[in-house]
Amino acid sequence: MPEITVDARGMACPGPISALTRAYRNAQNGDLIIVLATDPGFEPDVKAWVERTKNELVELAKVDGNVIKAVIKVTAKK
Amino acid sequence: MERVVIIGGGGGGAILANLLPEEFKVTVVDKSEVHFFQPGNLWIAFKGVRKEKFLRPLRSLLKPRVEFVHDEVVSVDLNERVVKTASGKSLSYDYVVFASGAELDYGSVPGHRELLERFGDFYSTPENAEKLHASLRGLKEGRFVIGIADPVYKCPPGPHKAAFLSWEFFARRGLSDKVKVVLAVPVPHAYPSKTIADIIEPELNSRGIELHTFFTVNEVDVANKRIVSLEGEELSFDVAAVVPPHRGPSYAVNPAEVKDGSGYIKIDKYTSRVEGFDDAYAIGDCTNAPTSKSGVTAHLQAEVVAARLQGIDARYSGRTNCPLITDGKGLFVISDYDHPPIPVRLSKFKRLMEDFFVATYWSAVRSPELWSPIFRAYFEATDEFIRRGEGW
Repeated sequence: MPEITVDARGMACPGPISALTRAYRNAQNGDLIIVLATDPGFEPDVKAWVERTKNELVELAKVDGNVIKAVIKVTAKK
Repeated sequence: MERVVIIGGGGGGAILANLLPEEFKVTVVDKSEVHFFQPGNLWIAFKGVRKEKFLRPLRSLLKPRVEFVHDEVVSVDLNERVVKTASGKSLSYDYVVFASGAELDYGSVPGHRELLERFGDFYSTPENAEKLHASLRGLKEGRFVIGIADPVYKCPPGPHKAAFLSWEFFARRGLSDKVKVVLAVPVPHAYPSKTIADIIEPELNSRGIELHTFFTVNEVDVANKRIVSLEGEELSFDVAAVVPPHRGPSYAVNPAEVKDGSGYIKIDKYTSRVEGFDDAYAIGDCTNAPTSKSGVTAHLQAEVVAARLQGIDARYSGRTNCPLITDGKGLFVISDYDHPPIPVRLSKFKRLMEDFFVATYWSAVRSPELWSPIFRAYFEATDEFIRRGEGW
């Protein structure tokens, strides 16, 4: 399935979630959006975003020390 | 004498042109003969201020030594060092500066252009702000919705100012119980910065302004008066204004790689130098600099470029100073590349500072050399707050 990677490392809040929103606009159901971020606020923000949009959070983990990796499967686009 | 061509005579371009000394032959190219103070749109839309207050002939704002070319740029060739215009002019340069601002895209959200034509907005032009004022005067009950179609837009506090000023507009007419002001934002909180959101959310709540987060406008259905978000929600409206998606300059630039995926000119965020070129700079809203698209950014980048063209190793810190006002008080969102916005306090004094700035705008553009020491003193004093992470 197509993957869209968003490198939002170094961006302050709400940069990562804004970058996710812009990627989501161009995504289709079935796509995977992978977001890499370093802002600690991204973790609660992405959880809230997934809950609101009804998409699927496949993975949310710390990688390489302080990098937060979120993998979202797009399932709710109309 | 070195030739500098500046594309765009908005705040950044005009200030840069006026800062460059007589040793430079400076040309400003703009498709408009009129310079308008963009935040004035809010005053036109919500306070009914005459648009003429915020308009000046661009020629009158430029020093006599600056040449003004009223023409539309169609292409810039960075390898050949030439700017071409719609009327067929070819302007050769030693340095070129992109200062043409961000372009507003009303075509990418279905129904958006129809919404603009129906109600106007507080964002694009003085004429559209006048139209919105008329639309609001005709709204005696119902919902006025303010939305945003993309997280990247000029003047981050603009929609919030619009919410507070429209609330005041209806309250003064005794309509605060009949007209609901609704603010919908694409981010998780009331404002992009959580620090600022924590301050203004209670202000929105106390006025009964309805807030929707994670709401990125994706479609406008004017016939049925509803807005659909990218996140899957809907809002009904009686009058609405939506901040459109933005993009970089639409004129051609060679090599095309200097533009990013949204068309913004890729620059070094500290020096404003266009990636890969020593003789090209970009300032203000047309760049991909990771800071707010705002007048203060354009102004401070203009000062940096003016200094660098004169051989001084100046750098822009990413400093912002965006005023956010309610109906009676104000605050400034201040930050830089290395520090997030600090806690700030709403106060009547800061609202007065905003009003003072509006009053001095034309003078600051026309004679930046007189105002720069005052602004510099202010920035140096408040930089300390940012570095310490303390409010002011």
